[in-house]
Amino acid sequence: MASARFADFAATDSQNHGMNLRFSFPPYPLVGRPREVLRQYAEGRDPVTGRPLMPQVVDALTRPLTEEEKNPKPGRGAPRPRLLNPDTEENLQRLFLENDWTDGLPIVMPTEERVAHMLTGTAADPNEVVGRMTITTLQEKLEYTVEKVAVNAVMAGAGPEHLPVILALAASQEGSMPSSTTSFGRMAFVNGPIREEIGMNCGLGALSPFNHANAVIGRAWTLMTINLGDSRLGETFMGSTGNPLNYNNMFFAENEERSVWEPFHVRRGFKKEESAVTIFRGWSAINSMGAAGCCRPAQEEMLLILQAFPAVSGSITFVMDPLVAKHLKEQGFQTPRQLSEWISANFKMPAGQFFGSDLGYSFGNPLARDGVEPFSTWWKLPPETMITPYFRPELIDSVVVGGETQALWFTTDMVWSQTISIDRWRPKTGVYQKDEREIRRREARRKRHAAALKASGYEY
Amino acid sequence: MASITKQPTRSLQTVLDPRGQPTAEIQPLSLAPRLDSLDGKTVYLVDIGFGGGWEFLQEAAAWLQRNIASVRTELRHKKGNMFLDDPELFAEIAERGDAVIFGVGG
Repeated sequence: MASARFADFAATDSQNHGMNLRFSFPPYPLVGRPREVLRQYAEGRDPVTGRPLMPQVVDALTRPLTEEEKNPKPGRGAPRPRLLNPDTEENLQRLFLENDWTDGLPIVMPTEERVAHMLTGTAADPNEVVGRMTITTLQEKLEYTVEKVAVNAVMAGAGPEHLPVILALAASQEGSMPSSTTSFGRMAFVNGPIREEIGMNCGLGALSPFNHANAVIGRAWTLMTINLGDSRLGETFMGSTGNPLNYNNMFFAENEERSVWEPFHVRRGFKKEESAVTIFRGWSAINSMGAAGCCRPAQEEMLLILQAFPAVSGSITFVMDPLVAKHLKEQGFQTPRQLSEWISANFKMPAGQFFGSDLGYSFGNPLARDGVEPFSTWWKLPPETMITPYFRPELIDSVVVGGETQALWFTTDMVWSQTISIDRWRPKTGVYQKDEREIRRREARRKRHAAALKASGYEY
Repeated sequence: MASITKQPTRSLQTVLDPRGQPTAEIQPLSLAPRLDSLDGKTVYLVDIGFGGGWEFLQEAAAWLQRNIASVRTELRHKKGNMFLDDPELFAEIAERGDAVIFGVGG
């Protein structure tokens, strides 16, 4: 049984699982409805078929199987041709939009010439299989090659220099916008020398749309999720409100040069001179909306902001300006791990608040029922008893980005998923043709920034 | 920057299909044979964990009891959250049950 809102999805989903399941649908929603209403649903009709619901369920369990149910045919689609039929630019733009192969914005058409040029950005064979992906939990995955990734990179407006990062994202086999009705978002950032080589922004306004590399790589991940992860609105993607993070996936580079702490990828086992992209899963980010250390230390402000999150995953990630990291170090946190341990020990929430959210019901309650600690103990406590839901410091992360114009940070419910090598996907030479004009432009901006900081009296 | 070749609007272009390839990793399965009736049978109702599902299945079990006097119902939570397998419960159902109703999705 599935609630009636998901009738279309259920039909597709069962076919994709290779079975012609017999579904019945009570009205939607069930969550939060009074018991009397649920009783009426059980005694009423299936709004999809119009038949009495429970007699239909009995019929589904007792009516003999059809030939098709005994011997179902594979639900998979036919292999897709490499090339589409030739057409004009205008018609192709419309075709891509009408087939939902884009993010709704104009794309660069992936002509053979442009895709071939894109492929100069990697030493990998165009026919090499990079991975398989689906945005659903268990539906059949789509397979994709280096060339397919390059096609989506062209569409996003990327250049060959961006391709190794995009391939590393593709190699994660992780879509940026999962099917969930809860409307997930993703965050990803780059560490290592490639940040500078391809002109990524890790400083002023790095999370805003001012940088070509940040913009097109983040967008390429979204397009890959649509086309390689089989994201189809209302068929596989069911996020009720959707999530604005899905446009660019909070894609940036860590400001290693201005951080007082070790780079993130080094903390995950990479060498500083290696380049890697890190992926986080979650839903949301809250701006601190004020300077760290103005009136109370940042770590205490963090505890207050954390009350806004259900805390069920036990994970939290702070995305902070270099000024915040510097302030926290002055507070005694010599490493991000020390901050994680302090947050883990000092954040408290009533047990009733923890189990009282929808996520608590869906994910906390089963753990408590199954005897998993500490959830099982927390479940038995009086609701007002304070618990420490971020009890695993290793699930609390920090990353540094920003231009030092304000000591603010984002508190996110993001949980680390993967840190992936980018160097594996570099071109044979391993280096890029330098764009002297762009280098001069960035150097001039960096000098202006350094001069402004120095003139301000800030300890640079 | 990506190099974008300028072409007249009306000229024909050949472009690549951006979509991944379907795979053959899912093999079709037959449904389990159906029962003649539910009289005297044991029907498991398994809550997969979405909000309201447990309470609705309680009502569904009550409906079965009211309308098919000889049916036995077993209402159970699936272990873990809605995305996880529960082989122990499914083995128990295969051994002791005659039918199962899973719910409630969404």
